[in-house]
Amino acid sequence: MTLLTALPIRALRKPALALATVTLLLAVTPAPADDSAAPKPTPVPMVAPRDATIPGGPEGELIQYGRRLLTDTKRLLPDKVGSSMNCTSCHLGEGKVAYGSPFVGISHRFPQYNPRAGRDVTLQERVNGCMQRSMNGTPLASDSHEMKAIIAYMEWLSKDVPSHGQVEGMGIGDVNKKLTPDPVNGQRVYVAQCASCHGANGEGMKDAAGETIFPPLWGEHAFNIGAGMARLFKAATFVKQNMPIGIRLDGRLGQGQVLSDQEALDVAAYFTQQPRPDFAGKDRDWPKGGKPKDARY
Amino acid sequence: MKTARWLAAALAALCSSAVHAAPADPSLVERGAYLARVGDCVACHTAPGQPTFAGGLALDVPYLGRIYSTNITPDREHGIGKYSFEDFDAAMRHGETPDGRRLYPAMPFPSYAKITPEDMRALYAYFMQGVQPVAQANREDEVPWYLSARWPLGIWGYLFADAEPYQSDPQHDAAWNRGAYLVEGLGHCGACHTPRGFALQEKALGSTDGADFLAGSHVGGWFAKSLRGEPSQGLGNWSIEEIVQLLKTGRTRSSAAFGAMTEVIAHSTQHLSDNDLYAMAQYLKSLPAADGSVAAAGTATLRDDGTLAALQAGQYPRAGAAVYVEFCASCHRFDGLGAPRIFPALAGNPSLLGDDTRSLIRVVLEGGRMATTQHDPMAFAMPSLKELNDQEIADVLSFVRNSWGNAARPVQPAEVAEQRRALSALATAQ
Ligand code: HEC
Ligand code: HEC
Ligand code: HEC
Ligand code: HEC
Ligand code: HEC
Repeated sequence: MTLLTALPIRALRKPALALATVTLLLAVTPAPADDSAAPKPTPVPMVAPRDATIPGGPEGELIQYGRRLLTDTKRLLPDKVGSSMNCTSCHLGEGKVAYGSPFVGISHRFPQYNPRAGRDVTLQERVNGCMQRSMNGTPLASDSHEMKAIIAYMEWLSKDVPSHGQVEGMGIGDVNKKLTPDPVNGQRVYVAQCASCHGANGEGMKDAAGETIFPPLWGEHAFNIGAGMARLFKAATFVKQNMPIGIRLDGRLGQGQVLSDQEALDVAAYFTQQPRPDFAGKDRDWPKGGKPKDARY
Repeated sequence: MKTARWLAAALAALCSSAVHAAPADPSLVERGAYLARVGDCVACHTAPGQPTFAGGLALDVPYLGRIYSTNITPDREHGIGKYSFEDFDAAMRHGETPDGRRLYPAMPFPSYAKITPEDMRALYAYFMQGVQPVAQANREDEVPWYLSARWPLGIWGYLFADAEPYQSDPQHDAAWNRGAYLVEGLGHCGACHTPRGFALQEKALGSTDGADFLAGSHVGGWFAKSLRGEPSQGLGNWSIEEIVQLLKTGRTRSSAAFGAMTEVIAHSTQHLSDNDLYAMAQYLKSLPAADGSVAAAGTATLRDDGTLAALQAGQYPRAGAAVYVEFCASCHRFDGLGAPRIFPALAGNPSLLGDDTRSLIRVVLEGGRMATTQHDPMAFAMPSLKELNDQEIADVLSFVRNSWGNAARPVQPAEVAEQRRALSALATAQ
């Protein structure tokens, strides 16, 4: 179960689905005992449609707007977003990158049980979860044009995926949680492999017009303590798969897979513990217990 | 041929019995080591994973076949341990070895001919006393028999190679002359950057030979751009400081060397003294534009032409804009300026605007990694985006060549298809 709580899909009510996820992401972990006869959805290869194939007309305009909101969130929604970030600061490459928490297939997987909320949440609620925590902002109304656009884009991205919504590379992968993180080495890794872009003090980098080039990792413009990224294992997993970008000759962004599990944990232990904004709603999280041990509060 | 070589070798061995080096002055050896860096001997004389200077690197010569660089360690049997100074000088300047072989001009002796006698002595001292001998036999070349006779190379050398040491030009100051000496001579920049003529000779070997010198050439699937004064495609818009930065660190605030140039920087120019780099840059900046018509073919002036505003507003009427936003903008950004010393700018970048688009297409197909140097903690890479089809690559390159003030002819899908074919042929040959 500890494994499952760290996985992207909290499909506790759908054991078969959880099983598929575990085998997908952790081929080495013995699958939990489960004899349910329900057919196991087989993950399909992740194929993201090209932006150029977004249809015309009002439907297409909504999809385009949604895509722009995810990639240019801070500039387009300055009043809603507190951090210097876009959704695609973490959901890399327009939400189309395997293990970069992609949005391909996502609209089929919601509503979904969420242990942090202690109930099923809708896709709109999940978006707002990241809005309030990762973006340190305020939620979008469910019936707002913005929310409709974001959902329209996610649905468009998911249009070619079977209804179970399982794609190879969904979520962010996994990291060996048995290792002991060493934040002192983490600082060394940070200086050598991250500071060129994210700054000596985690402040990120802005261009002359004040637009974010590289998002901050800590400080007042970073994600808050309620964000998934503030948690050690999620951050380490994300970093192992996705950071640095521009470091390899393959992958959509030349991203990740250069740090060992140990180095990823070390550097995550270093930057997640740096000062960052508080999250006001933290007392209401995990109402039914099961708070993971890497939660920040 | 083989017998001839063997005979000559035997003869040379006999005659060279007198050769043995008295220990040279350590500062001479040290200077030789530096000059070997400038000459980038290691690039060609070291095969991947093999001992330094032991040769064995395959070089494919157009129309000829595959040849292998030779062992230049002081090993007496396999290397150049039996070379006298005169032998070394003849090989370096004239491409003639003591065993009577004529070297293929893949060894850039036409440029090395400009080395001064003093520097040649320092190089010799270094190779004899500063380099570890390695007993590694040379590999046979893979050249069809009908081309393997080397004697025509003597005629080649006679026709095209000018074997005079560099003559200082009194019209210019000492720094310029130092720069000219390094660029035209040991640095052999022209080996890649000067177009070649009908017999694969460099069309010009120095600034006094005319406007072909360093005017840009095609080498091993890359286009080594013009280093002359064209503002669009050459170095006309670069400052001396920027040229120094590029040669020293592989990047500037707004650009990054890629392809074959990254190795030149990693092996050679990053190790040069600032004085020498400034001298080279000063000299390069003095080379006038090759001709006016080239300058008109494309221009790169950073200018607000509405590209940024259109991309920010989600308006992509031009072909290629949507591909740019989807596949390139994460790094090169809406404003085309990239990130200083991390992702090169495409806006105002002359490397993008050449008529020869092969490097450009290749970077998108294969990606590329910046030169790794001692001056920056990380060397960044562009990923291979070969998943894009020919039309998409043509569109996106046409878009970047004509945005933010850039102007150059569009790229055709057929050019992308052709480069894909050429690169896969290159890959199977290796
Ligand atoms: C600081 C990083 C960060 C930012 C910024 C961010 N997210 Fe997330 N998001 C995450 C992480 C981490 C997860 C959980 C991934 C996991 O556990 O697999 C997540 C999960 C999600 C999920 C559920 C994914 C799934 O596969 O179930 C959605 C939907 C989502 N985010 C939407 C958004 C939206 C919309 C925005 C912008 C308003 C946004 N996120 C901004 C880090 C971020
Ligand atoms: C080449 C520059 C570069 C380097 C080096 C780099 N990153 Fe990033 N990082 C980015 C960019 C760019 C993004 C946002 C992704 C996007 O917009 O496409 C990002 C996003 C992130 C995020 C999520 C967003 C946020 O700000 O919280 C984290 C966490 C992160 N990086 C951690 C790291 C760590 C840890 C390292 C070192 C191991 C590292 N990065 C190295 C460029 C870099
Ligand atoms: C661009 C590639 C290249 C560079 C740079 C280069 N060489 Fe060579 N060199 C070759 C090749 C190829 C051969 C063999 C040619 C042949 O077999 O005809 C060769 C042959 C030689 C030989 C003849 C050795 C023998 O007996 O076979 C000497 C000496 C030599 N190089 C010295 C040097 C020195 C010193 C430098 C640096 C200052 C240098 N080379 C730089 C490619 C290069
Ligand atoms: C092995 C072939 C080779 C040699 C030798 C070589 N170059 Fe290059 N050079 C290239 C290629 C290919 C490019 C085009 C790629 C690029 O622009 O970075 C290039 C580009 C350049 C650029 C422009 C970089 C930019 O970002 O626009 C400069 C300046 C340069 N070379 C200087 C030199 C000098 C000076 C020398 C001699 C010391 C030299 N090169 C020797 C292959 C070579
Ligand atoms: C992950 C970041 C990244 C992405 C995405 C990316 N690039 Fe690059 N690009 C780079 C880096 C890093 C270099 C320098 C490579 C080198 O020096 O070998 C570069 C170099 C280039 C160059 C050569 C310019 C120069 O002076 O070095 C061109 C042209 C280019 N990119 C075009 C594109 C296009 C077109 C796309 C989209 C189809 C794209 N890039 C996507 C990072 C990226």
